[in-house]
Amino acid sequence: MQPILLFFVASCLGITPALDDDVFFESKIRPVLVEKCQKCHGSQKQQGGLRLDTRSGLVKGGDTGPAIIPGKTGEGLLLGALAYHGDLKMPPSGKLALETIKDIELWIAKGAFWPTEKNPTPGGRTQVIMPSDRAHWAFQQLKRPVPPKVKNSALLQNEMDRFLQSTLERSNLIPVDKANKSTLIRRASFDLIGLPPTPEEILAFEADSSPNAFSHLVDRLLASPRYGERWGRHWLDVARYADTAGDGADYPLPEAWKYRNWVIRSFNSDMPYNQFVREQIAGDILANENRGNKGPTHPTTLSDQIIATGFLAIGKRYGYAPNTDYQYLDFADVIESTGRSLLGLSLGCARCHDHKYEPIGTEDYYALYGIFQSSQWSFPGGEEHKKPDRLVPVVTTGEIHRLAAQKAENVAALKTRLREILLQKAHLSGDPIVGGPDLGFEKQKPKSPIGSPWLALGPNILSPQAQSPFNHIHPQGKQGVRMSAGAANDGVRYVFADPVMASPGKKIHFSIDFHVPGKSVSPGAFRLYVGRGVIASTALDISISSQSIMVKNGTQWDLVGPLNPDTWHSLNIRIDPDSKTYDGLITTFDTPKLPSTSIPFSGKKLAPGWDGVIDTFICDGIGHVPGSVPVHDLDNIALGEVPFAKPGTTTLLPLATTPDKGKMAQLDMLQKEATSRLNAEVARPLHDVAYGVAEGQPTNAKIQKRGEPDKLGSEVPRRFLQILGGDFLDPKSRGSGRMELAHWITRKENPLFARVMVNRIWQGHFGRGIVPTPSDFGLRGDPPTDPNLLDWLAFQFVESGYSIKSMHRLIMASAAYQRSSNGKEANLAFDPNNHLLWRFSKHSLDAESVRDMMLALGGNLDLTIPKGHPFPPEPWGFTIHAPFYALYESNHRSVFLMSQRNRRHPYLALFDAADPNISTAERIPTTTPTQALYLMNSPFVHDQAKGFAKSLLAKNQDDVTRIQQAHLFTRGTGPSPAEITESLEFLQSYETALKINGTPSPQVRSMAWTALARVLFTSNAALHVD
Amino acid sequence: MQPSLFSRRELLQRASGGFGAIALAGLFQQANGSQDPPSDPLFPKQGHFPSRADRVIFIYSTGGVSHIDTFDPKPKLTADHGKTITASRWLNKPGKFDRYLIKSRFPFKQYGRSGTWVSDLFPQLGSVMDDVCVINGMWCESDGHDKATLAAHTGSAQFARPSAGSWISYGLGTPNQNLPSFMVLAPAAPYAGAQTWGSDFLPACHQGTHVIPGPEPLAHIRPRTPSRNLQLLELAHLKRINQNGLLQSGPDNALEARIRSFETAFGMQTEAPEAFNIAHETEETLKLYGIDQKTTSGFGWQCLVARRLAERGVRFLELIDVGSSNNWDSHGDMADHIRLAKAIDRPIAALITDLKRRGMLERTLVVWTTEFGRTAFNAKADHPGREHHNLAFTSWMAGGGVKGGMVHGATDEYGILPTKDKSYTHDLHATMLHLLGLDHERLTYRHAGRDYRLTDIAGNVLKPILA
Repeated sequence: MQPILLFFVASCLGITPALDDDVFFESKIRPVLVEKCQKCHGSQKQQGGLRLDTRSGLVKGGDTGPAIIPGKTGEGLLLGALAYHGDLKMPPSGKLALETIKDIELWIAKGAFWPTEKNPTPGGRTQVIMPSDRAHWAFQQLKRPVPPKVKNSALLQNEMDRFLQSTLERSNLIPVDKANKSTLIRRASFDLIGLPPTPEEILAFEADSSPNAFSHLVDRLLASPRYGERWGRHWLDVARYADTAGDGADYPLPEAWKYRNWVIRSFNSDMPYNQFVREQIAGDILANENRGNKGPTHPTTLSDQIIATGFLAIGKRYGYAPNTDYQYLDFADVIESTGRSLLGLSLGCARCHDHKYEPIGTEDYYALYGIFQSSQWSFPGGEEHKKPDRLVPVVTTGEIHRLAAQKAENVAALKTRLREILLQKAHLSGDPIVGGPDLGFEKQKPKSPIGSPWLALGPNILSPQAQSPFNHIHPQGKQGVRMSAGAANDGVRYVFADPVMASPGKKIHFSIDFHVPGKSVSPGAFRLYVGRGVIASTALDISISSQSIMVKNGTQWDLVGPLNPDTWHSLNIRIDPDSKTYDGLITTFDTPKLPSTSIPFSGKKLAPGWDGVIDTFICDGIGHVPGSVPVHDLDNIALGEVPFAKPGTTTLLPLATTPDKGKMAQLDMLQKEATSRLNAEVARPLHDVAYGVAEGQPTNAKIQKRGEPDKLGSEVPRRFLQILGGDFLDPKSRGSGRMELAHWITRKENPLFARVMVNRIWQGHFGRGIVPTPSDFGLRGDPPTDPNLLDWLAFQFVESGYSIKSMHRLIMASAAYQRSSNGKEANLAFDPNNHLLWRFSKHSLDAESVRDMMLALGGNLDLTIPKGHPFPPEPWGFTIHAPFYALYESNHRSVFLMSQRNRRHPYLALFDAADPNISTAERIPTTTPTQALYLMNSPFVHDQAKGFAKSLLAKNQDDVTRIQQAHLFTRGTGPSPAEITESLEFLQSYETALKINGTPSPQVRSMAWTALARVLFTSNAALHVD
Repeated sequence: MQPSLFSRRELLQRASGGFGAIALAGLFQQANGSQDPPSDPLFPKQGHFPSRADRVIFIYSTGGVSHIDTFDPKPKLTADHGKTITASRWLNKPGKFDRYLIKSRFPFKQYGRSGTWVSDLFPQLGSVMDDVCVINGMWCESDGHDKATLAAHTGSAQFARPSAGSWISYGLGTPNQNLPSFMVLAPAAPYAGAQTWGSDFLPACHQGTHVIPGPEPLAHIRPRTPSRNLQLLELAHLKRINQNGLLQSGPDNALEARIRSFETAFGMQTEAPEAFNIAHETEETLKLYGIDQKTTSGFGWQCLVARRLAERGVRFLELIDVGSSNNWDSHGDMADHIRLAKAIDRPIAALITDLKRRGMLERTLVVWTTEFGRTAFNAKADHPGREHHNLAFTSWMAGGGVKGGMVHGATDEYGILPTKDKSYTHDLHATMLHLLGLDHERLTYRHAGRDYRLTDIAGNVLKPILA
C-alpha cells in the first residue's frame, strides 16, 4: 500500500484555502512578508513609518494610512500597492504573482489571522475574548450623547435632526427643502399602514394649516389597525415567518397564523419591545408566572403568551418525524435566527468552530443549544410522521382538566340520549341487537355454538335456558350462552366496536348476568375478564366457582359473595379510573317476581398498570381455583359510560313484533342526528393549540465537534454569550433556561438589544439603517454611519419604555424625514447614495404595498382579519416527491397570503418579498421585465383596474374631475393641465381604437377608463414613494 | 425650483426609444430596438477586440459530476482499487484519514479522430468530441454546493456578485431588444436559487430571466388587451407619463429601469412564445434532441429552445440540468450518474450537432460545467458513492473559437489533484469573456469605490484551447 498525504480545502467558510488559518499564514503570507517587505518595513527599517512584521503594524499602517483593515479588502493601502494600481507600487522590485496577491487578499478578507497575536482556541477550552474584540463599538454600553451644536438651527425640527445636520454641515451640504404636503401624506401613509391616502384625506391634510397637522396625521395612522399589518410584516421578515415547515415535503402549519396575527396585534397595541421579545422566547413560562403576583405591564393573555413562542418554532424545519435526529439543524436555525434578529449577531458559524471573525465561541453556541434542547418543540408533520405533533395547549393544566370534565359530561349526556333512542328502536322493532349492547345473543342461531362477532373455543351453545330473567338493561330476549367444562383456556370473547377510554371525571359501567344451573360440584372457577385486548391490559377480573364470587382487588382475589345455586345473578360494576378503583352490586333473582338480595362491594383496586382502555370481554376457565369449571350461563352483557338502571327499578317490556314504520323512520332520523352530535363532540378538540415551544427536560448540551452531532465533546453548562456577560443559569433553576435567556437578551445592560431594534425602525422609515447591515452588528458588519445618533435613539427607545410607536413619532417629526426627494447637483456629486440623508430617498413600493394598493383602489380589499388558510383536511400524505403545494387566492391584505418555504408564492417572489427560509433583514428591490409582464398582463391587475374604473365612472362627475381623482388616488397628487389633456387624448384614441376593433359601444367607455386605470396603476409615480 | 441636472435633450435621449419612439413614429409601428441610441444599457456594443463568439450557451449540471467517471479516465485508480491513501481532510474535517481508492465502474472509450476519452455514461456526446475541448484539472474554492455554485456563476463563493451572464450582458448588450439578454432555462431552482443569475450591483436589466419549462414558460406572457394596438396605446401613454415624471425628478436609475422593463416585456410577448414553440421543428430534429423519449424530453426541450433563442439573438443562455435536489450529488451510489447522464447525453450532443449543421457553432460558445468533482476514495473499500471534491473536476467547451478534439490540463494518477495546466473558475470565466471579445481585466464596473471584475483580481485566458 502506498500512502499519500493530501491537502484539502477548508471550505466551511467558503473561502479558500483549505488550510487552517495558521498553516495558511505560515505557508502563504509570512514568507512573502519576510522575503518581499520586511527589509524596508520591519524591525530594522520602517520606511514611510510602516512596519509589516506585526499585525498591529499592518493595521496601524504608515504615514499615508493603514496598510490593511482586517476583513475589508476594499480598504487599506496594501492591496492597491501590490496590484500596482495607483502611484504606490509595491514591492518596487516587481509585481507579485497574481496568486500571491490573491492569497493576501483572502488573508485580509478572513480577518488577517496572525498566530502570535490571536489564537482561536479549539472547542472544549474556555474561549478567550481578545481585548480588541471586546472594544468593538457594538459591545460598548449605550452612551447618552448630547445632540451636537449646529450652525444652521433653522433647519432643525427636533433634537434628532442635530445629529444629521451637524454631519451635513461638516460635509458642507445643504439639505433639500421640505416635501410638499401631498408628498408627505402619501409617504407617511405607505410608511405606516402600507396603503395610499384617499383624495379626501389628502385634501383634508393639505387644508390643515395647524402646526400639528403632520403629528396628528401620524397619530391617526398609528391608531389604525392597518399599522400592525404593515409593521408586523417587517417583523415577520426578521422572524422568517412562513405557513409551511420547509422540509422536503413542506407540510402545512395550520396553527402558524396565530403567531402572525399575534405579531400584528402586538404592533397595534404598541406592546413594549422588551416584553414583545420576552414573550417570544419564554411566553409559555411567563404565562405560568403571571398567575402568581406580578404580571406584565402591558395587557396580554395566557393564550397570547404561548402563541408568541411561535417565533422560535416557526423557522425552517428539517426532521421527517418528531425525533432528535435532525433537531440539531432546527436548533442551528433558531440560534442563528435569534442571534441575527434580536442581537444583530451571526452565531451560526460557531456551530462547527469558534467564530473566525466574531468573539463567539463554540461553547457559546452549545450553551444556547442546551437551552433550546431543554424545551419541547412543536412538530410540523413530515414525511415519516404525517401530521403535526406536540402542539402546545394555550390553556392552563387546570383548565385542561375542567374542559376535559366538561367534555366528558357532554359526551355522556349525548350517549344517554342516543341510548334512549336505540332502546326505543329496539322496543319498536323487536330486534334487541339494535337496541343496545346485548352483544348479539338474540341474533345468533339458536341451539348452536356462538358465532361471529364472538370468538369461541370449547363447548358452548346458545340456549333458551341460558336466557336471564332480568330485564332492566335489555328487553327480555330468547336465549343466552351456556358454557360447559373444557380446557382452562376455552371460553368466549367479544370485542366491542366502540372502545371506552378513561378520561378525567369519567366513570365506566359494566354489567353481566350469570347462572350456574343445578347444584354443581365442579371444583374450578370461570373468569370474567374486562380490559383492552386479549389480556393486553387488564382492567378487572371476576372469578366465579360453584361456591363463591370473587373479584380481583389489585393483585389478590377478594370474596364478595356466595354463589346461590341455580339462581340468576346480575353483577353491575362501576369503574372509577381517577381513583383506579371499582365498586359493584350483585343482585340475585330469587323469585320470578322480584330480585330479592343485593350485595354491594366497593373500593376494589383495578389491575395495576391498566392503560385506561376497555374494548374486550372474555369468559374463560382461568378463575381463582384450578379444575374443571361448572356449567354456567351468561346473558345481558353491557358496557357503557352512563350508569345502567338497577335491577328492579325499571322493566323493559317484551318487544313488539310489528314495527311502526313511520315511528321507526323518525327514530332513525333522531339516531342519525344524535350520532353526528356525539361524533362532533368526541372529535371537538379539548382546547386551542399553538405551534410553539414548551418546557422540556432540562439538560446541558455537549459540544458537537465540527458541528457533527455524533462527535460529542465536553458538556457545556447553559449560559448566555460570553461577550454579553456570559451569565450562567442559577443552580436552583429547574427550567430550560429560556426564561433567563429572555431576561439576558432584553436587559438594559445588553447594549445590542435596543440598538438593533432602533436601527430596524430607522431602516423601515429611511430604507437604510444607521448600521447598514441591520442583522450584523458584529465585527464583520458595517459600522454605524453615526454612532452617536444610534445611541441617542437607543436611549430614547429605552426611556419611552421600549415604545415602537414613540420612535415612529420621533423619527417622523424630524426635518430629515420630511425632506423632499428632489436631487441637488452639489449634494449628488458628493453623496450620490444619500447616506447623509440630505434628501428623502425615493423608493419603490414593496410587494405587499403594490398589491394592497391595487386591491384598495379596485374596491376589492377585504380588511377583515383572517385566521388560518384553507389547507386540505388531514390525513396528509405529503412526501419529498409529492410535496405540499397550494396557492390560495384572497382579497385580504398581502400580509395574510399563504407563504410557503419550498415554493415561493409566485407574486411575492416576483416582487422581492422576503425569502422565509432565513431571517431577512432587508429586501433588495429589483426591476425586471417579468415584473412588467405581471403588471401588463396579470388577471389581478386587470381586475383591480376594472374595479377602479368602475368606481370612477359611478360618480356623477365630469371626465376632468375623474382624471383628477384617478391621479390623486394612484399617486397622491393631481395632474398638471398638460397631463389632463394627455389623459383625455389617451381616452379618446383608446375609444377610437376600440371602436375600430369592433368593441360593442356600451363597453367602450368602461374599457378605455380601465386602460387608463392600468396605466396609472403601473406608472412609476404609483409604484414609488417620494 | 428644482435645479436642472441635465438638459431636456439629454433626458429625452436617455429615456427615448421603445414606446417613446413608437409614439413618435406612429402608434402601430413595430417596436424596433435598433432605434435605441447607444446610451441604452442593452444596446449591442463592440467588445475590446474582435470576438470569436457572439453568444454563450452555458450548461450547468448541478450537484457535482464525477470527473473520474466521465471525462478524466484513471487506469491507475482501477489498478490500485482497494488500496488505501491518507487524506488530510475528510468531509470538512481536518486530520489524517485512511481512505480506500475506488475505481470507476464506467469503462472509457476513445472517440473521433482526436481519440478523446469519454466514459460509457456519455456515448452520444462521445460522437461529437472532435468539436469539444475537455478541460481537466479544473478546481474551485469551495466544496459546498451553494458556494461552489455561486463561484461557478459569479466567480465568488463568498460575496454576492453579478453572474457571468450579467457581466456579458453588461459588456456586450444584446442584439434583440424583444428578448432578455440573459435567460435561464431551469425546471427547478439550483442551489442558491435566483442568486446564481442575479445582477447584484450591475443594473437590474442584466439579470437572468428564469424560464420554467412547461405550458407557460414565462408567466403572464399573453397580452390581455383585446388587441396589440390597444396595448401599444397603453404603453405609449405609460411611457409618456413616466417621462414626465423623470423630467421632474431628474435622472434616476430605478425609474429608468422600470421604463425599460416594460419595453422588454412588450417585445417578449411576441418573441418568447414563438421561441418556445417547437411545434414547427421537423420530426428529425425533435428525434435528434430526444424530445420523443421520456428520459430525454425534458433536457431536450431546454437544448432545443436554447438553440431557438440563440437564433433569435439572446446573448447568454443558461441551461440548468436538474436543480437542487435529485441531482448529480451521488453520495450514496454512483449508479445514479447513469440516470442523470441518460437525461442529458443525447440532448447536448444534438445541440452541438444542430448548431454545427446550421453554421451556428462557429459563433456560439457552448460551455458545460458542474460545481465540483467527486472523490476517488471513500471510507469503505466497497462504498458505492463518492464525496464532494473541489480540487479537481472537469468542464468542457465547444464551438465559438475553441479548439475541438483536444484535452486541456490533467490530474494526477487518481484524479485527486491537478498536475498540469490547472484551471481555476476565474480562468474559465476569463476565457469565456475573451472569446466574446472582452478583456476580463478591462470589463469593470465601479461599485462601492472599487472597480469590480468578474474575475476579481485573478484569471488567465486558457490560451492553448483557443482555435
